[in-house]
Amino acid sequence: MFRSTRLGVALVAAALALAGCGAAATQGTGGDSTLTLGVLVPATTFSAQDINWANESPYGQAVYDGLLRATPDGDIEPWLATKWTYDDARTKLTLTVRTDVTFTDGTRFTADVAAQNLLRFRDGNSPNKSDLARLADAKAVDESTVELTLTEPDPALLTALTQGAGLQESPKAFTSSTIKTVPVGSGPYVLDAGATVVGSSYVFTKNPKYWAPDDVHYDKLELKVYGDATALLNAVKGHQVDAANTPDNNSLDQMKAAGYTVNPLELNWTGLLLLDRAGTTNPALGDVRVRQAINYAFDKKALLKTVGKGYGTVTTQVFPTNSPAYDSSLDSYYDYDPTKAKQLLAEAGYAGGLTLRQPRSSLIGAATYTLLAQQLKDVGITVEYTDVAQGYIADLVGAKWGSAYMILQEESTAWKIATFGLLPEAAWNPFHYSDPTVVALAKKIQTGSAAEADQAAKQLNKYLVEQAWYAPWYRMESSFVTDANTEVTVQQGNAYPYLWNFRPKS
Amino acid sequence: MFTFVLRRLVSGAVLLFVISTLAFFLLYLGSGDISRRILGQAATQEGVTQKAHSLGLDRPILVQYGEWLGNAVTGHFGASWFTGQEVSVAVTSRLGVTLTLVLGATLLSAVVAVALGVLAAMRRGWLDRLVQFLSIAGFAIPGFLVALGLVLLLAINLRWFSPTGYVPFATSPVGWFATATLPILALSLAGIASVTQQVRGAVIDNLARDYVRTLRSRGIPGSRVLFKHVLRNAGGPALAILAVQFVGMFGGAVIVEQVFAIPGLGQVAVTATGQGDIPLVMGIVVVTAALVVVVNLLIDILQAWLNPKVRLS
Repeated sequence: MFRSTRLGVALVAAALALAGCGAAATQGTGGDSTLTLGVLVPATTFSAQDINWANESPYGQAVYDGLLRATPDGDIEPWLATKWTYDDARTKLTLTVRTDVTFTDGTRFTADVAAQNLLRFRDGNSPNKSDLARLADAKAVDESTVELTLTEPDPALLTALTQGAGLQESPKAFTSSTIKTVPVGSGPYVLDAGATVVGSSYVFTKNPKYWAPDDVHYDKLELKVYGDATALLNAVKGHQVDAANTPDNNSLDQMKAAGYTVNPLELNWTGLLLLDRAGTTNPALGDVRVRQAINYAFDKKALLKTVGKGYGTVTTQVFPTNSPAYDSSLDSYYDYDPTKAKQLLAEAGYAGGLTLRQPRSSLIGAATYTLLAQQLKDVGITVEYTDVAQGYIADLVGAKWGSAYMILQEESTAWKIATFGLLPEAAWNPFHYSDPTVVALAKKIQTGSAAEADQAAKQLNKYLVEQAWYAPWYRMESSFVTDANTEVTVQQGNAYPYLWNFRPKS
Repeated sequence: MFTFVLRRLVSGAVLLFVISTLAFFLLYLGSGDISRRILGQAATQEGVTQKAHSLGLDRPILVQYGEWLGNAVTGHFGASWFTGQEVSVAVTSRLGVTLTLVLGATLLSAVVAVALGVLAAMRRGWLDRLVQFLSIAGFAIPGFLVALGLVLLLAINLRWFSPTGYVPFATSPVGWFATATLPILALSLAGIASVTQQVRGAVIDNLARDYVRTLRSRGIPGSRVLFKHVLRNAGGPALAILAVQFVGMFGGAVIVEQVFAIPGLGQVAVTATGQGDIPLVMGIVVVTAALVVVVNLLIDILQAWLNPKVRLS
């Protein structure tokens, strides 16, 4: 009996020692040259033609080079394209590209390859394919010069070429049956398909022939997908990731306690979309005084505290802080004033109140909808919700609702904001509302000089706030955490920092 | 025997057809605008329409179902709409991980439950009451709570195991032990609880039977009576419960794999269902349903082997 007990104890001790060694072996950090990053979504595709950006940007950046690069503040820098010039009409962009770059399959990168990739992206199925909607043609003039012809000026084009639209894939891979899962690029890393579990973890090894070796700070890269917030928190607490994107701000204190640094970034704004500005579904929304009253009705500070848990900045504008259009005074244009809201409603002929029909999704916390309805109720506006399941966004862009709660991204350029939600044909202007002032200012942003465009953007921002096109509550703060051995600079306008901005802490 | 197996296989095929048909229509009717979900809020309506066309979602649902069924019969389940990976590859590469966890948990449940059940039945008294109390507690506590507790204590605080992730046994047995132990423990708890109760009851029942008294009166040692006769008789009902637990563990694996970020079938099932990745979900449904049919068949055969009184016909 005594002998068997000792044997049992020895076995348990051996097992725990074994487990301890194994646990150490599976730690993500440890001072080696592997960068282990936590991501929230798997790669939808590796095909450059259809690639997704934002949260999926590290997948593309690992294996592909872009024509241009963006600094963390969004300034454009050369990369595969070393020079770029526009003609006077700003409808012809000429790029000079490098000639010393080779894809991992041995194919050389040339101007013709760049032209092919650009046209493929325009004709592909990327969520961002509209970035090249104005590209009429792309042609190689010679081995190092590619000429892009546009149907009309596109001030956001250079920024687009720093993102998915500019990624360069080997032409030999265009016809590959595995193009979605086995990328062939010229980027800093190569996907290790054998060690990768699609949908869960993606392993990349350093491209030994990379043309810009100083730009690669790690020998190996692993992107681990954490679809569950608890799993991500446990991975952080167990130091299994060097850095990670967080799905929300609920666990930041625990992550800080585990020794991680929180890198904040404002990416989205949240509040009410007042889409039916012509009053098609509800005449009240066509009256600017009603839309202004809605803006005054919200106690944005309280909403930030309760709904946003204090992570963010109260605002009434939809332009990001790094935009030339940004005006800090517009963050408090509609300070909470229920009396003024009631007065405006009375002036508009709604002293007895009005009713707004809005969609409600179970994906968003019930408290948000309750508070929204309560604050509007306090000034005499009744909200009638209809529960919609999966089709929330489809319904919104399908012009089914005149107003709705929403979280929307802050686009990186004023022109993108205009084409995304302001111009009559914009996807997020579903009622195709056309305001001559907005159209004229957008035209100036599109065709004017840089100074003219910046001024027009400022005017546009102010006009939108005055006309209450939206009823924003606050800019939401997202968080990216890094461990003690890793430093990163977050990327303005993108959900995930750019890969080359990760470095081992010296 | 042959007729029995054939009959069960035919009824399994019918069951598979019914389940997959129901799953297909429920998924399509409840998934909303899948193309919009794939492309996100930044995509234009034109892009969304183009995506729907490229996926064939703009065709009548019966045409889509007919195409899916025709391909499925020949073993072609298509590719995931969200990752581009072949469904057959996605499912088979993850099935091994889930099976490892579920088989490990089943084995652990069987060993621990038999040991505890026999101990409780033989010793009775305070030990019996303790085992019964632990069984009820184990049954009542949700698996994911156990998983979270195990991670906090053994992985994060003591650092004995990995809090998340999975290392295949072939890659590193040590890594496998560090990553698979806690999920297997979490998964097996409910199985241990219910099978222990079953074994305990069956052993007590059998110990009171005449044949046991006869065997003992013939001077056969108690251990032989227990292991060769009593356990064999008590094993049938326990095996039935274990089979139910085995199937149930696939459901438990969904939660456990999420909490431990394990790249198994459960994790991908949750992700794919949430996204509306219909080809992948359908592949998972077919494989898990087929697995349940096969496991039930095997259990029936095993029951007959354990107890000749059970006739397969």
